[in-house]
Amino acid sequence: MKKILVITALCASLSLAGQNSSGSFDQSKFIPDISLIIDMSYVNTNVTNDDLDNNEPTSNYGDYGTFKEFNTDNGFNLNYAELALHSNADQAFELDGVFHFNPEGVEVEEAYFTTKALAYNLRAKGGKFKSDFGRLNNQHQHIWDFADAPLVYNSFLSPEGLNAPGAQLQWLVPTPWYMKLGFEMLQSGNGGTYGNDFDKKDGESLYIGYLKNSFDINDASVLLGLSYVNGTSNIIDEDGTSLYKGNSEIYGADVSVKNYFDSYSYINWQSEFLYRQMKSDDTTLYADKEQSGYYTQLVYQVAENYKTGLRYEGFLKKSNGAKISVDASYKTSEFAQLRLQYSHDDAFKQNGNYKAINEIIFELTFAIGAHGAHSF
Amino acid sequence: MKKRIYILLFMFPLSLLANLNIAVTYPYIGALTKTIGGDKVDTVVLAKGNWDPHFVIPRPSLIAKARNADALIINGGQLEIGWLPPLISRASNPKININSKTFLDLSRHVELLQKPLNVDRAGGDVHPDGNPHFHLDPNNILILAGVIKDFLISIDSENKGVYEKNFSDFSGMWKVKLGMWKIKMANNRGVKIVQYHNVMAYFNHAYGLISIATIEPLPGIPPSSRHTIHLIDLIKEQKPCCILHDVYHSTKTAEFLKEKTGIKIILMPHDLGALDEVEDLVSLFDYLSGAL
Repeated sequence: MKKILVITALCASLSLAGQNSSGSFDQSKFIPDISLIIDMSYVNTNVTNDDLDNNEPTSNYGDYGTFKEFNTDNGFNLNYAELALHSNADQAFELDGVFHFNPEGVEVEEAYFTTKALAYNLRAKGGKFKSDFGRLNNQHQHIWDFADAPLVYNSFLSPEGLNAPGAQLQWLVPTPWYMKLGFEMLQSGNGGTYGNDFDKKDGESLYIGYLKNSFDINDASVLLGLSYVNGTSNIIDEDGTSLYKGNSEIYGADVSVKNYFDSYSYINWQSEFLYRQMKSDDTTLYADKEQSGYYTQLVYQVAENYKTGLRYEGFLKKSNGAKISVDASYKTSEFAQLRLQYSHDDAFKQNGNYKAINEIIFELTFAIGAHGAHSF
Repeated sequence: MKKRIYILLFMFPLSLLANLNIAVTYPYIGALTKTIGGDKVDTVVLAKGNWDPHFVIPRPSLIAKARNADALIINGGQLEIGWLPPLISRASNPKININSKTFLDLSRHVELLQKPLNVDRAGGDVHPDGNPHFHLDPNNILILAGVIKDFLISIDSENKGVYEKNFSDFSGMWKVKLGMWKIKMANNRGVKIVQYHNVMAYFNHAYGLISIATIEPLPGIPPSSRHTIHLIDLIKEQKPCCILHDVYHSTKTAEFLKEKTGIKIILMPHDLGALDEVEDLVSLFDYLSGAL
């Protein structure tokens, strides 16, 4: 009896509370767009992670750093559960937060504001965000054309890409075609070329600039981009001893021609070339001060639900080793995708010998909730 | 010489300042805006009339088009949700921000049909605000013309007289046309039809056509063999007159249905430029009302 009374009282108070929140002081309409994207895969490859971690400093994977961000293990992988929140903060700012939950913990993938009321076609961004360097760096994994990033991105820009706290200013140049000029300053030490000294990066910044152009020829859109980043590489070993320190520059050039046949199918040829120059006299860690790498890919969106792609990539100077990837994906709707990718890579060096890596990735990506549309 | 070309290049957008430069999402909005605005406005249409209005390709060139617009008029009803938001964000132009005085969402001014009671993506890619293809009821065109007139006056009161006169001319002409289309369509009341996607909902509503099925099993989901087999039985049983097919989806499944049941396929333009004959709003409804 007493129990029933308590429950009744609880229900009454709950319904009262409910009334309050849906009445005069209701805020439920202000809930931001919330989405959850889950990406999982089954991977089968002929090399172990130890092999990959111990790749030789002179190998084509670059000279330092973990090898990849996603699909890391042979067998099943939960790559991430991405929680994304987006809303206008007020009339002047929008706010975005993107969080990656994975078995190791939670990572603030991005958290930034964007201005929406600046004059002269200017737009500013601040917080932690993916840089607009190159064609792929600012794209989230779930919209990639392949399950993995190009080797040159992993090696030069780190598996997480250029993604750090900083500020960005972009200007749409008043030309009849699309032209965007952007400058960014990011906190250094995010991995890749710019090192792993996350603790001693006081005041050290990466300076990034890029120019992007686009115009249409009939139903084809052409994109041409030039990018540049400059900063201090600061690489330490496990004990914190400095292994390498010096100024490094990366130049990037990208081109893409995307021809649409109708609303649902297109063919896209996209290529990117990155050149890196490391300026320290220190030769202990890096044998080569200059390196360059590239990828070129052809993606055919056959119909609304089917897509297939072919990518060829490698590094110059070190060897002629190259990686080739082919993938095909099927979507049951805009919110669920199945992808099968095979890649053959003979750019990998171990114990002085090149060793071919064969990899099959079966990847599933799902999205629920309110997720904003993607740009071109 | 080279210098002069550059100067011309940068002067070009300035020369547009004389008129209101209005960006619109679809060709029909462009035609209405031009009709009401006359020579006081220039319009820039973002989408192509012969491609799927749900899947407009967000080419960077569209950002350049929206960059110096003085106003933006959209269809709304979530028809643009898959392509327009990133363009607005990237155009860095406060005049086209949602909620700015120079932004107009037409769907807020007409009554939407088929507003779903429950929304779940297991039911396909449904429009939670209701069916957004409202411009295909020619009675709505008149309402929209009035909305655009009020909008233009609100941002450019100096030319109020021009906009009112253009509206009243259009309104007189359109009312005559409405009468003609009504007579033309009178015999089609109660006729059953099949569609690919429910694009013609408002046209059907206006003239009493009954849409009994769609070729896509769920909104936004491509045809499946199971659903197509079901359609064959349904067509044989209910004997709809025809498939009213949009111009942008493949007619492959429709052709298969035709082969199995003998049903007629009629291409229905949804916007200006969808078919070569459809050049303006009058010819759009002339075509639609004569298609059956």
